[in-house]
Amino acid sequence: MSALRWGCGAAGLGRVLRSCGRRGLPAEEGTLGVSLGPRRSSSASPREQDLRKDWGHAELLEVLQARVRQLQAESVSEVTVNKVDVARLPEHGGGGGSVQPPRKAQEGATGAAPLPSGRWAEKLHKEKQTQQKRKQRLEVKLQVRAQKLAQKLKPKPLRTEPQLVSRKLADSLQCGVHGTPESPSEKQLAQALQAALQKLSLKKEQALADREAEAQLTGQQQTLLAFFECCLLTDHLRLAHHVLVAHHGSPRKQQLLTLAMYNTVMLGWARQGSFKELVYVFIMVKDAGFTPDLLSYAAALQCMGRLDQDTRTIQRCLQQMARDKLQLADLFTAVPLSEEERAEILRAIVKARPTFRPPPPPPPQVNTSTLLREVYAKDGPVSYPKLPLPLKTLQDLFQQQLRAELTTTVDVESVDKAAVLTEETVHARNTLKNLRDQWEAALHQALQETKARLARQAHEGRPTLYPFLCLLSEREFVRLLMQTLQALPAQGESLIAVAHELGRRTFSRHMVQKQQLNSQVQALERRYTQYLHLLASDTQVAEPSLPRQYWEALGPLEAPQEKPWPVPVLLQLGKHLAELLVQTVQMPRSPTKPPGSCGLIPVLYHVYSFRSFRQIGILKPHPAFVQLLATAAEPTLTFEAVDVPMLCPPLPWTSPHSGAFLLSPTKLMRAVEGTTQHQRLLERCPPAELHGALDTLTQLGNCTWRVNGQVLDLVLELFRDKGCSRLGVPPPPSEAPQPPEGRLPQDTSPAHKAELRRELAHCLKAAREMHSLRTDALYRLSLAHHLRHRVFWLPHNMDFRGRTYPCPPHFNHLGSDLARALLEFAEGRPLGPHGLDWLKIHLVNLTGFKKRVTLRARLAFANEVMDDILDSADQPMAGRKWWMEADEPWQALACCMEIARAVRTPNPATYISHLPVHQDGSCNGLQHYAALGRDSVGAASVNLTPLDLPQDVYSEVAAQVEVFRRQDAEQGLRVAQVLEGFIDRKVVKQTVMTVVYGVTRYGGRLQIERRLRELSDFPQEFLWEASHYLVRQVFSSLQEMFSSTRAIQHWLTESARLISQAGSAVEWVTPLGIPIIQPYHQDTKVTVRGGLQSITCNQAKDSSQKPNTQKQKNGFPPNFIHSLDSSHMMLTALHCYRKGLTFVSVHDCFWTHAADIAIMNQVCREQFVSMHSQPILQDLSSFLVKRFCSNPSFQPQRVTQNAEMAKLKKTLQSVPETGNFDLEHVKRSTYFFS
Amino acid sequence: MWVPVAGLPPRLKLSALAGAGRFCIWGFAASTRKHLPAKNHRGFSDSYPQPLPYPDFNESPSSVSKWRSEPKRYVTSRRLAETVAKILRGKRERPRHLLLECNPGPGILTQALLRNGAKVVALESDKTFIPHLESLRKNLLGSLEVIHCDFFKIDPRSDGLVKPPIMVSHMLFQNLGIEARPWSADIPLKVIGVFPMKNERRTLWKFLYDLYACTSVYRYGRIELNLFISEKEYQKLTANRNSNLYDVLSVLWQVACEIKVLHVEPLSSFDMYTQNGQLEKAKCRESLNPTEQNLYFIRMTPRKSLFTENLTPINYDVFFHMLKHCFGKRGARLIDHLHCLTPVDAMDVLMQIGKSEKAKITNMHPQDFKRLFETIECSKDYVHKWLYDDSMGDTNPPGK
Repeated sequence: MSALRWGCGAAGLGRVLRSCGRRGLPAEEGTLGVSLGPRRSSSASPREQDLRKDWGHAELLEVLQARVRQLQAESVSEVTVNKVDVARLPEHGGGGGSVQPPRKAQEGATGAAPLPSGRWAEKLHKEKQTQQKRKQRLEVKLQVRAQKLAQKLKPKPLRTEPQLVSRKLADSLQCGVHGTPESPSEKQLAQALQAALQKLSLKKEQALADREAEAQLTGQQQTLLAFFECCLLTDHLRLAHHVLVAHHGSPRKQQLLTLAMYNTVMLGWARQGSFKELVYVFIMVKDAGFTPDLLSYAAALQCMGRLDQDTRTIQRCLQQMARDKLQLADLFTAVPLSEEERAEILRAIVKARPTFRPPPPPPPQVNTSTLLREVYAKDGPVSYPKLPLPLKTLQDLFQQQLRAELTTTVDVESVDKAAVLTEETVHARNTLKNLRDQWEAALHQALQETKARLARQAHEGRPTLYPFLCLLSEREFVRLLMQTLQALPAQGESLIAVAHELGRRTFSRHMVQKQQLNSQVQALERRYTQYLHLLASDTQVAEPSLPRQYWEALGPLEAPQEKPWPVPVLLQLGKHLAELLVQTVQMPRSPTKPPGSCGLIPVLYHVYSFRSFRQIGILKPHPAFVQLLATAAEPTLTFEAVDVPMLCPPLPWTSPHSGAFLLSPTKLMRAVEGTTQHQRLLERCPPAELHGALDTLTQLGNCTWRVNGQVLDLVLELFRDKGCSRLGVPPPPSEAPQPPEGRLPQDTSPAHKAELRRELAHCLKAAREMHSLRTDALYRLSLAHHLRHRVFWLPHNMDFRGRTYPCPPHFNHLGSDLARALLEFAEGRPLGPHGLDWLKIHLVNLTGFKKRVTLRARLAFANEVMDDILDSADQPMAGRKWWMEADEPWQALACCMEIARAVRTPNPATYISHLPVHQDGSCNGLQHYAALGRDSVGAASVNLTPLDLPQDVYSEVAAQVEVFRRQDAEQGLRVAQVLEGFIDRKVVKQTVMTVVYGVTRYGGRLQIERRLRELSDFPQEFLWEASHYLVRQVFSSLQEMFSSTRAIQHWLTESARLISQAGSAVEWVTPLGIPIIQPYHQDTKVTVRGGLQSITCNQAKDSSQKPNTQKQKNGFPPNFIHSLDSSHMMLTALHCYRKGLTFVSVHDCFWTHAADIAIMNQVCREQFVSMHSQPILQDLSSFLVKRFCSNPSFQPQRVTQNAEMAKLKKTLQSVPETGNFDLEHVKRSTYFFS
Repeated sequence: MWVPVAGLPPRLKLSALAGAGRFCIWGFAASTRKHLPAKNHRGFSDSYPQPLPYPDFNESPSSVSKWRSEPKRYVTSRRLAETVAKILRGKRERPRHLLLECNPGPGILTQALLRNGAKVVALESDKTFIPHLESLRKNLLGSLEVIHCDFFKIDPRSDGLVKPPIMVSHMLFQNLGIEARPWSADIPLKVIGVFPMKNERRTLWKFLYDLYACTSVYRYGRIELNLFISEKEYQKLTANRNSNLYDVLSVLWQVACEIKVLHVEPLSSFDMYTQNGQLEKAKCRESLNPTEQNLYFIRMTPRKSLFTENLTPINYDVFFHMLKHCFGKRGARLIDHLHCLTPVDAMDVLMQIGKSEKAKITNMHPQDFKRLFETIECSKDYVHKWLYDDSMGDTNPPGK
């Protein structure tokens, strides 16, 4: 094995490099230190020596065995020779085989013929005999030693009996083992239960023993816990027990163990019904000084239930539980258990307490928020929309999606121009295929070897990755690795990213597989079919209800509740797999030549990139391999199943972790990997509070989509040709700027070379940027092409502020103009009396030509240019190309086509339209601020007040800035004079828009500088001064116009600062009840050591860490406003759904069918008013005071802390004053959303 | 003798003195001050408690204080100034080269240089000194030019706005009428000054990138640097194999330049401009740190032969990457590094440069690295010579 590892240069070097200054076997270095942290480096060395000793033994054993074999072979030949002798010379018979080599024996034989009974012969015979005896002795000796060694090398039996610290418990263990035969374990348990060993130092730890405490585990502890959990999953319980015993037995390692670890192993034994082992663990828990908690008792009772233990034991257990102040009923509410486990526990309890009944499941809760009262009201006619498909079709679609998720990947045909099948291409494809076959075999073998090695180490009591490698079959791992290799970009990928991705994918594959094994898939299938009755177009249900309600009414479904692995574990596993890939995959030095004709070189290299003082490990494919892939130009792209839109309606969201994809786990709230605080917050909050969010996300995901084939064809035509940057179709690499060709003459001067280099660098940079854009578009268009003649769904989840996003990343309605134009509603609606007008207005909005005129005027403009519209629709690429001038050309084109089709229908009102029509909020952030502050002036400028013409806040700010500028110019300020004639809407727009979201002066200046730089006639030497001046003016103009906005922003910022300084992250609850916490914490690093390189990454940002005050402070105002705009969107969505509308959103841009625009507009306004009629700021203030100022356990230790607390409270309570704007105006404002 | 001017704030004093043309007063004050007892010295400083006025520029005080945050050392000893001037003049009657003096400050060295017949361009980053230098120029028509410019921050790499004192070299050189010379030609000009105290290392890296890429000032030829550098950095710069200071920086500088020590001067001969805008003796913290006691006046002349073979301004970044990689694990064997750097057969390469398989990074001379690089660079039969590509490169010198 070690030879194999040394064979590959890069990996080998990695090891050597890592092992500098460390003792031990370099080849083994990678696995030795894996779980042992830095403090352990000293303790690692004896283990290493052990290992080395073992290796030494192994070699010796081999030598010995070989020698034994050799001897046996020799004696056989001797025996045969002797037989010959015996046959010829009967007088020498019975010699038992001589030691003489055959030749000698023959000599003897020939010599014996003339001297049949001579002294010589006798002597010879004697000699032979003594030699023979000596040899035999030696042989026996050797064999004994070999056996001994073999014994030693054979995996030691796994230990089950613990080594205990407490003498008392140890005695009880002894008597249990040798004593009373009838029920040893029970007696032990009784004694263990009574033993009240309490280590005072551990008391504190107990107080934290809820899930919160998990975040505080060290990396080592996380690894250990994950090891135990994974052992349970992969049926290596004995191994887990062994490692637990090994750790428990060593005083130093025992410190690493937590109650959760003991509980995990105990649960495993309980499930198997192994009472003896369970008792051992229970004794260890006591021995370690922990007080068993609910989980421990749940495990013990479960086991007793399974074994049908006698009443006395159970009673004793229940008594002790009462003494530990644990409620029996909590077993059924607070412990996550499967149905079956619960039944077993109940069986045990009932035996001891026949009257006990488990608490009834809580009745389905109903959301009580006033804002949602209407949504959940049970009265009145409700017409929830149906999907436009019959049951049968939907069932088929479900099967297709299920298949895709079970295979975990989807192959999609690339839409890139197909390569001409030259001989070279075919050859390259064949070479690749052969290589891949070889690699698969090699990886398979390497995996097996690694597993064997890790298993051996686990048997020595170390928590290795062994159980993790057992989660999936070797075939599955090999497939995963091959996909990773295929997807590696030419310039390489950082090791940490590769490792992370590998770890993540292993987890999600494992989750899918687990459900497959537990026959959960069948259960899901049955249930989903029932669920489809609610959605299908040709079925009826008794009572109209929301998808989630209907799904819940179908009874509880066992949700697989497996927590994602902690980041260190994820990285360790991923890194191990990545190393395997680096070490194993090799190719001939020149892959085009026949195999075997030249030496092998690694395909992947582990190299370093240097950024400033940081050093980043990168896995880089050999350029020749990249070349080979390029030549082969394989026409298939492989996507993860979760990166592709769904083929059937997503599962409704019912809890923070169940919904969306059928099998692949999806989080309700997306967050940086390893962050658990959002999930915890959501789980802790009463389920009914989340109904609003769950139902909105379900509903957004239930919208059926299809691809706009006409637009796709046009885009593909451009894409396969030369692309068009202006229209957002990235050009192919052939269009990239070409670096100067040709060899340089010998005497090129260095200065000239420097010029060339600059040019070259410029070309390369441009090419790289083009490539990434091109790849992005390739994925999107390939997926669109793949889905062309089908319907599909985009499951949604939300970010920590409640903003909603589609889960599939490459192809969704959130993207650029091009991406949006490719999508349309699969369900069509007749345009109705006003639909066509709305289509036309929508088109004018998309062009951006008439922003400041009335709707009527926009409609008139559309009618005016109808010729151009029809021309665009009929000959988009050859005609007058009116659509190309639009702000959003592709969507405009799609709209032109829809209008053309509609007007050519005899009665346009009956035309079935699929095109989504948008309504945009005008500067939505400021709208919310103005409404919060009831600020009349501000409200008017962002269209909260009904006015004849749409107001444009950007122009107004620009005008205000211009006023200031003129004043300054008159006073002789140079920069104000220079700026004359340059201040317009465009210059200030981005800054005004982002001010609401917390842009600072610094960022604002950069934005303005960029705008000014674009102006060709602006004197560039004034850039800095002018942008500096302008950003000041924009800020003060905004201050003037939105006075209350600034006051609110200031209050929010100040509150966040004080909360953060008091040591907490800012939390709040949206008007819809979603709990929010800002995930900005100070970084702590974790390091995963060993192997190719150490990986250091930022630890999961979690509530246990100190908040980052700067970010908390700057983030609060924009995040709060985002939480409001998302609430408004959700309210609109839910109410639209009740009215039977199709509704989707891109944050503050709402989409529906042209016919339904009027209803959506009405709902949108009503909900805005109803939301802001709530005392939002007061609610926030009282929530914050309650959350951060009334903590009874908080004992101010210093006087200053007390003062700080008082200041915090005072600040939180001083809610900014509001103006006198009447919200009801919004309902009549045409341009509020338009 | 300094008593009469003690009442003036130092900045005003500079310009006032300059107007009178009596440099010797200042010079005398500076050279005698080190003999003063410490108590007296403090008294001198304390006599300017009032905030300093900001004459003749419109910037607000806050933005000025930003510039102040980088204290600089200035040559204020006349004896030292004379020595340096003599060294630069060499044996000739008049120095042949144009001298760019970086941050002359009070101008003590400038005057010495001028006295020795040199043509000097004073590049001063601190506006405070400019009026004083301007008045010097007026007195010595023709042989001195004063420009508000920070030579150590010339040609910033970020695309940000260039705002004085940060300048673009081609504008500066064009205005000065300096023409580019071929690399093989004689040196076009000499630069004199003191390395910025805080960013010595960063500045050294900046020069290296410019030098190897033939950009910025090195576009004009083999600019010769004559700079005062701290002892610590000097030792790193000139460290050779088997020294534990031997590092990427040492290799790159020694490959690129001939480095020669011209003079060693104790730190006490320099003055510092501190945050509150006063010239004072360098803090006495160096007494704790013996390596900080001297500044080395070194000459760094780029080698004519630098680009004569396969190392060029086109591929220098690969060379940089190679060295960074090697010194990332300096104890490792060269051959192991080669496996990670190049697909070219490592044994072949070692044989060609005449190193054994066991050779370690720390056994290699600077020039060995260059040979190694050039050997790989011109190795035949390999399409791909390096695993490095430019996306992995760090075009910016390591900054903070």
